[in-house]
Amino acid sequence: MKNFMMIFIGKEYTDLGLSQEEIQARMEKWFAWGNKMEQAEILRGGEALTPQIRRISGQNRTATDLTSADVKEIIGGFYLIEAKDFDTVQEIAQDFPDYDLGNTVEIREIMVFDH
Amino acid sequence: MKTQIIDHLFRHHSGKMVSVLTRIFGFSNLEIIEDAVQDTFIKASIKWRTQLPDNPEAWLTQAAKNRVLDIFRRIQTEKKHAPEIKNGIETIAINELFLDSEIEDAQLRMIFTACHPKLNPKDRIAFALKTISGFSTKEIASALLTKETTIRKRIVRARKTIHNLNIEFKIPQGNELPLRIENVLEVLYLIFNEGFHSNKKEILVRKELCGEAIRLCKSLLKNKHTNISASYALFALMCFHAARLDAKITTENEVLDLKTQDRNLWSYPLIQLGNAMMNKAVENNEFSSYHYEAAIIAEHIKAPNFEQTNWHKILEWYQCLYKLQPLPSHLLSMAVVCLQSKNHLKANYYFEQINPNDLEQRSYLFYGAKANYFLAINNKTEALNNINIALEKVTNSLEKKFLEKKKLEMISSSL
Repeated sequence: MKNFMMIFIGKEYTDLGLSQEEIQARMEKWFAWGNKMEQAEILRGGEALTPQIRRISGQNRTATDLTSADVKEIIGGFYLIEAKDFDTVQEIAQDFPDYDLGNTVEIREIMVFDH
Repeated sequence: MKTQIIDHLFRHHSGKMVSVLTRIFGFSNLEIIEDAVQDTFIKASIKWRTQLPDNPEAWLTQAAKNRVLDIFRRIQTEKKHAPEIKNGIETIAINELFLDSEIEDAQLRMIFTACHPKLNPKDRIAFALKTISGFSTKEIASALLTKETTIRKRIVRARKTIHNLNIEFKIPQGNELPLRIENVLEVLYLIFNEGFHSNKKEILVRKELCGEAIRLCKSLLKNKHTNISASYALFALMCFHAARLDAKITTENEVLDLKTQDRNLWSYPLIQLGNAMMNKAVENNEFSSYHYEAAIIAEHIKAPNFEQTNWHKILEWYQCLYKLQPLPSHLLSMAVVCLQSKNHLKANYYFEQINPNDLEQRSYLFYGAKANYFLAINNKTEALNNINIALEKVTNSLEKKFLEKKKLEMISSSL
């Protein structure tokens, strides 16, 4: 078994102007998805990130403060799960509730430095 | 499954669920939260009648989590303030709050809020029993021997105070912490004493109250910021008291004093637990009133029988306690201890320092003790006078019976 990270990238609900009802319906799906992984005992953790960004870049280490509205897409958070391979995780990622909003799941394997 | 077990489970879990949900939705939505938790319980109790889940606690936690969206919707319908959700991913953060460690944390926050010094002392107990311990207002009323409407008022007032003063839902830190822990310990001991001392209640109610106080104190011991020596000492003290609860009351619900209690009925496991906690409590030299009170009970427990009680040592502990906490009730205890060791002169010295009115509704204890004093120095007339005053002052029917019995003994022995 390996560990993978599912990284969620896209737009924030509030930036898309979703209604309260729509937000709640989506939360329901998020809860259901989380519960499903929990019950399958593959969930190892996860975090949600706040939409504030401080970006530091360039030789001069220039700092810029941004919010989700200022960027095309933002990393909203991640789940850590245990799975056999990428295909299994892809299968799990089918339940991600926000593909229709244009949001994305990126699957990455956790590196184990073990020779 | 027995309803009693379900009740018990629910009681122990509902406070945790309410606390976690309060962390999510804030105090302004407490009523909606409590309704939702209550509703979950009703559903659980129907479902569980046929089959109990493997892990009922986890089932209840899951059920509470499932209510999050309902609560969001209800808050919206009632146009109250709800947390803003920017992204579905936030459910991951909400989920985290339902982890066992976070549940403990939420419960501690609720304990500190309920015991906040800005709340009226009486409101604290009622609010704590309702919100943390899942008692109904009716149960609280019968436990505190107060009218249900009064309890309801106290709870509403507590909520309002928390809301109006914007009391934060958190575990205090830094300089503020020691004093705030002291406030919490005080409330827990009051809850415990409500169970231990008031004899009007059924043994079940009393045990529930004592058990709650012990359980809540235990949650202080589990947190590295709140497990100070006074917390350990109070835990030990409550164990020592609770160990004698069964021996204190006969099957006819009659009160027995230390002299007549069957010491074989004392709970050995609780005494052992108390001893272990006491060892933790004395690891540093910060002694609280709970340390001395526990030391006093420990002396009683050490004695194989009433006659072999080390009264001298007990008097010493009381003197330490009185120095720390100059209460008239401690003076009275010291007088009683001196009577036991037949030091009548010293007993009188303590009696003379007491104004019985300061003891309020417990003043009958003063007159009862004085009756014993006069009996010991062979002044039967004064003894009888005092027992009569004690009978006038006493309100508790069981205590009254106890005094009447004593009076009868006095009269028959003088014949």
